[in-house]
Amino acid sequence: MASSSSLSLSLPFQFRFRRNNTHTLRNFTRVTASTTDIPLLQVNDLRAKIVESNVEILRGVNLTVNRGEVHAIMGKNGSGKSTFAKVLVGHPDYEVTGGSVVFKGENLLEMEPEERALEGLFMSFQSPVAIPGVSNDQFLVMAYNARRKKLGLPELGPLECFSYLMEKLQLVNMKPDFLNRNVNEGFSGGERKRNEILQLAVLGADLAILDEIDSGLDVDALRDVASAVSRILTPENSLLMITHYRRILDLLKPTHVHVMDNGKIARTGDITMVEAIEADGYETVSALT
Amino acid sequence: MSGIALTPAAYNPVIPSSSCSLKYQKSFRVKTRVSLNNAISISSDPFVLELAEALEDSVATPKTLQKLRQSSSHSLLSTPWPSRKDEPFRFTDLSILRSSQILPAKTPTITDAHITVPPDSQFPCHVTIIDGHFVNSMSNVTEIPDGVYVGSLSNLDPTVADRVSELVSGFDGGDLFWSINGMGAPDLTVVYVPEGCRVVQSPIHLSYLSSQGSKEGSNDLIVSNPRVLVVVEKGGEVDIIEEFSNVEGNENECYWSNAALEVVIGEGGKVRHSYIQTQSSLSAHIKWTSVRQESSSTYELTEVSAGGKLGRHNLHIKQLGPDTVTELSTLHLSVGNQTQDLHSSLVLDHPRGYSRQLHKCIVAHSQGQAVFDGNVKVNRYAQQTDAGQLTRSLLLEPRATVNVKPNLQIIADDVKCSHGAAISDLEQSQLLYFQARGIDSETARRVLIFAFGGEVIDKFPYSSIRDRVRSQIKSLLDPSPK
Repeated sequence: MASSSSLSLSLPFQFRFRRNNTHTLRNFTRVTASTTDIPLLQVNDLRAKIVESNVEILRGVNLTVNRGEVHAIMGKNGSGKSTFAKVLVGHPDYEVTGGSVVFKGENLLEMEPEERALEGLFMSFQSPVAIPGVSNDQFLVMAYNARRKKLGLPELGPLECFSYLMEKLQLVNMKPDFLNRNVNEGFSGGERKRNEILQLAVLGADLAILDEIDSGLDVDALRDVASAVSRILTPENSLLMITHYRRILDLLKPTHVHVMDNGKIARTGDITMVEAIEADGYETVSALT
Repeated sequence: MSGIALTPAAYNPVIPSSSCSLKYQKSFRVKTRVSLNNAISISSDPFVLELAEALEDSVATPKTLQKLRQSSSHSLLSTPWPSRKDEPFRFTDLSILRSSQILPAKTPTITDAHITVPPDSQFPCHVTIIDGHFVNSMSNVTEIPDGVYVGSLSNLDPTVADRVSELVSGFDGGDLFWSINGMGAPDLTVVYVPEGCRVVQSPIHLSYLSSQGSKEGSNDLIVSNPRVLVVVEKGGEVDIIEEFSNVEGNENECYWSNAALEVVIGEGGKVRHSYIQTQSSLSAHIKWTSVRQESSSTYELTEVSAGGKLGRHNLHIKQLGPDTVTELSTLHLSVGNQTQDLHSSLVLDHPRGYSRQLHKCIVAHSQGQAVFDGNVKVNRYAQQTDAGQLTRSLLLEPRATVNVKPNLQIIADDVKCSHGAAISDLEQSQLLYFQARGIDSETARRVLIFAFGGEVIDKFPYSSIRDRVRSQIKSLLDPSPK
C-alpha cells in the first residue's frame, strides 16, 4: 500500500503541463516547500538518450522517494537501471529529453553534477575510475571541504581531517594505508566498492544511490559494505540501490522494490516481490502490471 | 590512443657499425682563428661564420680547452644553420636565434650588486655558473669526500686533468649547437668522482644563471655557453642537480643559454641527474646532455622544463658495455607562446641493457607547442635488451600543438621492447568523478593536470626539489590561485 501511494503522486496533473513543466514545477515546489511531507526525490516521466548514438534509454521513469525510505531497483541487463542513476547525477554521456526531477524541492536537472552532489545526492559508481597522481586522502579532503564550504563551515587542513577520516575508514573496515594510495589505482574490485562507501561515509548524503555496490564482492566484503551503509542510514536520509542479487536486499531491507523494464519502472512492490523474481524471472514479474 | 610499433630492421635507414668509435678524430690542422680565406668556410652559412668569429673573439682560449675549441670550430664551420627541412628541426622554430644579432656574453663582474647568491643553496655542495663561468666565490665545494673534485678545469690536479681532458669533446654525434658550445665555452666545470667513491650523502647542485640579457624587442641576443663534464670512475656514484634560471631582475629579458653537459660513467658507476629549467619566458634554452655508460652502470634522469620561449634538450645516451640501466623521466610544460622540445637518442650496442623512458608534455596555450623525438636503437649485439618508452601529452587549449615521434629501431632478435604514445585532453570520466563528489570542474581540472605532471616530479630524488618544482609548476599552471 505504502509503495503505490509514494509512487508518482500527481501524474495526470504533471502530464498535462509537460510542455512548460519547469515553470509549473517551480510554482508547485514553492507552494509545498514549507510542508515537511515534500518528497526527497520526485521523478516524473523522465526520458533520456545517449548523446553520442541518440538511442533513447529512459522512456518515462516515474519514482518518488521520501525521507527515510530504502528503495531497490532491479531489472534485467540493459533495462536502464544504471542509466537512470547516471542521469540523476548528471552524467554528460546522457541527455534528458523530457520529464522532470525534483530533489529537495529544487529542479535537479538544472544543476551541474557538483551542485547535485553538494545538494546531498550521492551515487556510487559501478566501476569507479582510477585517478593516478591523486591520493585518496587528498581527494577525500577536497571533497569534504567542498561539502563544508557549502554548509558554511570553515575548510579543514589535511591534519585536521585525519581523525575524521580514520573513523570513517574503520566503518568500511579498511587499513589506514588505504588513504595514501592513489584514488582507485590498482584497487581490487572489492577495494573500489569499499572506497565508494568510504566516500559516502565521509561526505554524507540525503539520497545515496548505490549502483551495483554488491557485484564482485565476496560474502565478507558484502557484509562489511552493507553494515557500513546501514550505519550511515538515518531516518532522515534515503537509499536507492540498484542490484541483481537478493543478498544485499536481505541485509539492507528495502521498503520499496521496483522492477525496471525497457526504460520504465514496470512494477513496484515490497520485498516479497523479490521472491517472485527469483522464482519466475523478470519477464513474468514485469508483465504482471 | 596508444600503440606498439616496432621498426623492422629492413626499414632501418641507420645501421651503425658495432665499432662506432668514440675517440674524436678530427684533424687539428685547422687554425682556430676563423678566416674567410679558409677553404672550409666557403660552404658555410654567413650567419654561422659571423657567429663563429664573434665567439672566437669573445674569450681568450684557455690552454686546457684548446683542443675542444679547435675541433668545435672545425665542425661548426662545416655545418650550415639548421632549417625546418632538416629532420631534427622540422618542428622547432629557431627564428628567435636566426633573426637576432648574437653577442657572446662578457665575463660577468661578480661584484655587481644585481647578482645575488641563488636562494636555493640548501645543499652543502653547490656550484654557481654565471654566463658560463664557474664562480668560485658563490660556490661551496668544501664538504665533499677526498679525491672528489668539483670546479674549473684550470685548477684541477694535472694528473686528473690529463684523464679528464681525454674525455672532453669525445662525442661525434653533436649538432651545430654542440659545436657552438665547444667553441664558445669560456670554461669547463668538472665534477670528478674517483674509483669506488660514492658521493651519496648530498648531491652536487649546479646552479646556472644568466645575468646578461637584452630587453624585449631588442635585436641583440646574448649567448652564454656553460659546459660541464661529469666523470664517475669505476664503482663511483654521484647525484647531480642542474638548475637553469636567471638572476634576479633578469626574469623578463632575452638571452640564449647554450649549455652542454657530458657525463661519463665507469663500470658499475651510478649517476642520478636532476635537471630543472625555468628560464625567462623570452629566452632561448638549448641544452645538450651526452652520456656514455660503461658496463653495469646506471644513469637516471629526471627533468622538468617549463621556461624559455624556445626550450630544446638534446639527450644522447650511448651504452659502452653490457648490463646498463637507463631511466629517463621528463616533463615539458608549455604554458605560453613557447616551444618545448626533447630530442632523445639511446643507443644500445651491448647485451642485457635495461631502459625506461617516460616523457610527458602539457601544452596549456593555444600557441604553445611541444616536440618529442625519442629514438631507441637496439643494435645487433644488444641481445636481451629490455627497453620501454612511453610518451603522453595533454593538450589543454584549442590549437595547442604537440609533435611526437617515439621510435624504436631494433636489429637484435631477442629483445623485449615496447613503446606507446597518447595525446589527449583530460579524461571526462575522471572529471565527472570529482564533480560527483562535489568538487567543481575548474578545481578538478587543475588537480588532474597537476597529477599528470606529478608522476615525473615525484621522481626527483630530493624532497626539497620536489616541493619547489611542484610549487613552480602549480603557479605556472594557475597564475592566480583563488
